[in-house]
Amino acid sequence: MISALLYLQFHSIKNRTVMRITRLKQPKYLLGAVVGGLYFYWYFFRTIFTAPRRGQSLALFASPDNQVLFESVGALALLVILLLAWIIPHQRAALTFTEAEVAFLFPAPISRRALIHFKLLRSQTAILFTTLLLTLVTNRLGGHSWIRAVGAWLILSTVNLHLLGSSFAVTMLLDRGISTWQRRLGILALVAVLTGAVIFWGRQTLPAFDLSRSSDLQSVKDYIQQILAAGPAPYLLYPFRLVIRPILASNALAFLYALGPALALMLLHYAWVVRSNVAFEEASVQASRKLAEKFAAVRSGNWQAAQKQPKSKRPPFTLRPTGPPAVALLWKNLISAGQAFTLRIWISLAAFALCATLLMKQTSGGSGLRPMLGMIAAMLMFWSVLIGPQLLRQDFRQDLPLADLLKTYPLRGWQLALGELLAPAVALTCIQWLLLMVMLVLFWRTSGGALSWPDWLGVGFGAALVMPMLNLIILQIPNAAALAFPAWFQSTKGASQGIEATGQRLIFMIGQLLVLLATLIPAAALFAGVFFLARILLATAIAIQLASIAAAIVLGVEATFGVMLLGWLFDRFDVSAEATS
Amino acid sequence: MIQVKALTKLYGDFVAVNELDFAVQPGEVMGLVGPNGAGKTTTLRCLAGIIPPTRGSIHVCGHDLAQDPIAAKQQLAFFTDEPRLFDYLTVQQHLAFTARIYQVRDYEPVADQLLAELELAGKKNAVPGELSRGMKQKLAIACGLLHAPRVIYFDEPLTGLDPIGIRRMKDSILKRARDGAAIIISSHLLHLVEEICSHILILKEGRKIIHGTLSEITQKFSAQAGDASLEEVFFRATGDAEQGSAGEPPLPK
Repeated sequence: MISALLYLQFHSIKNRTVMRITRLKQPKYLLGAVVGGLYFYWYFFRTIFTAPRRGQSLALFASPDNQVLFESVGALALLVILLLAWIIPHQRAALTFTEAEVAFLFPAPISRRALIHFKLLRSQTAILFTTLLLTLVTNRLGGHSWIRAVGAWLILSTVNLHLLGSSFAVTMLLDRGISTWQRRLGILALVAVLTGAVIFWGRQTLPAFDLSRSSDLQSVKDYIQQILAAGPAPYLLYPFRLVIRPILASNALAFLYALGPALALMLLHYAWVVRSNVAFEEASVQASRKLAEKFAAVRSGNWQAAQKQPKSKRPPFTLRPTGPPAVALLWKNLISAGQAFTLRIWISLAAFALCATLLMKQTSGGSGLRPMLGMIAAMLMFWSVLIGPQLLRQDFRQDLPLADLLKTYPLRGWQLALGELLAPAVALTCIQWLLLMVMLVLFWRTSGGALSWPDWLGVGFGAALVMPMLNLIILQIPNAAALAFPAWFQSTKGASQGIEATGQRLIFMIGQLLVLLATLIPAAALFAGVFFLARILLATAIAIQLASIAAAIVLGVEATFGVMLLGWLFDRFDVSAEATS
Repeated sequence: MIQVKALTKLYGDFVAVNELDFAVQPGEVMGLVGPNGAGKTTTLRCLAGIIPPTRGSIHVCGHDLAQDPIAAKQQLAFFTDEPRLFDYLTVQQHLAFTARIYQVRDYEPVADQLLAELELAGKKNAVPGELSRGMKQKLAIACGLLHAPRVIYFDEPLTGLDPIGIRRMKDSILKRARDGAAIIISSHLLHLVEEICSHILILKEGRKIIHGTLSEITQKFSAQAGDASLEEVFFRATGDAEQGSAGEPPLPK
């Protein structure tokens, strides 16, 4: 029977690989693969062909003391992961299969053990891929790549087996009437007792840690090492250290010495898993259905549905039946964005931020906290321009799967485009205005007198004026990309795997930055021209405001053209052609 | 009301719809039938303005769909077999949104009446994820009928409906036709088409095979082979008579 499952697994991987190679005939995948390949070469493979720099070869592990410390810290991390696997689960064990696998394998005369073997076999594909990535990432550190590869594989496989075994054990406990909370309390009590034992031993045998030396990393390290290397901790961590030890081996001999116990532990886990006789089928069917729904939602571009089932939300304002139709799309997309985007929330947030910053201004005195927070707000504002359009996607990118419905509406393309852009633009503008307000209050009179308060107000007014226009433009770029290259857009969202998908994302990112720069240049040039001319005759604050108005007009004109272009793209967007391609 | 001339849709070299001519007058219900891949859905999507035709013209209530799409779309509603809804809007919010898009003044009484007719009155605050498939279909219908369209297209309208829903849907279609709407129904359910359609258009491989009133086309085929049902007409017209009369598809050898 296992041969049939091996056949299924082998041919699934083979066919997927063949399909991905064949689709490289399409320029979009080929170009993506080339760019992605260059990226991977630059970051991972380049170092394979160059000798590691002198002194780079894991000198950290050279000292036996360090070896013990790393081993203990690694073992501690592993212990935490495995403890969480016993504490968190609240449902019965479920092996996640695809819906097709459920339909074919569950009614077939295949034993439960064979299904577990199939699941283990399949998880090995992901483990081997992760191992490869880890090995490539850590290749820059030098040392023996094969030791790290085998070591990582041992850790990942053992953890995977333990997670599966613990889920079976949790199910058995549930079947025997031990509730989730009883189990959690039991485990937490055990953890408390063991931690208490370590702390008790530490207090009895070690001098108390001098907090004044907490800035000295070496003394902190020494103290931790003392706790982990003596007393009860080494015994508690012993099995976990056995799993960690091979990856930290400094040479082949040490590795072979460490391999035996780690391998034995892994085999013990394997025996535990395959000998567990737990009914996982029903929960697996449910988990598989949820997984299928998630994939379907992601493939259709509906990430919200993939994350969780939407619930009814309060509208941001009352929508009247007459008026500009674009407002209906704003209203709809703000509902989609959630409760965070209602006017009441924003007024409350602004009031809170104003009070908090004013209070801080009065209490912080001459400390560096105020300008530091101001700088953080400025940085967030800068990042909102770059990352905001990727995070706020309540526009065409969300509605593209329903493009056929949008096309039946009696609206012109530009009306739809404007309506679709408004919600993320409004949300982004509110965030930026809030940050701007915080920045202005925090920076006021902290710049050593370089700018007077009217100048600061001028800067604030100018930025507040420019930001909405800029947001409309920066949101148009990914939307236009989605409409002009829908197949690319879908492939970067749905099938987010492989070198070609990474390459496509990189191409998109570079394209987005270039278009942003091109649209900013005329506005920036006009701003500079108006400012310097106005500065000759008028005060700085007024010059800034005049220059900002001029820049906002240029950006507004660009945004208007962009909306028209976006509408034209949507009118030309052939739903069926995209479907057939 | 609906005037279609030389409608052609190409996908590369593939001809999905080929030189289609027909008209549907107010009060008429035209059944669009044909085997899988005949071009029924493509035709309806062209008629609804979802996809642009490669050639030909479509007039809806006298408005050219290509030249004056807004006026044309204001008069039509298209119901797909799979209801197209926004996951995050409630039933009530769907109706408010649709009212604004179509600029329907005082829509509330109409919406309430539609919800009551479609047995959705108790689900006003539910999102589509909380509705059954049939209820989603009913919500899509309520949204489509809110602006009192004069031209209505249905693509497999009975999919997902329970027997009561099917009966109500048929009654609703006939009522709209009596009120003067021009209706096109695409369906594989020939008994439904036979029951409610006044006209039939049979397509095969994108071409019009036969078009006329139900009585005209059944009479034409009855003249050849006694009383002919629409099913018999369908099989004869599409050249699948042998498979049709055999009753079962041929078994693989």
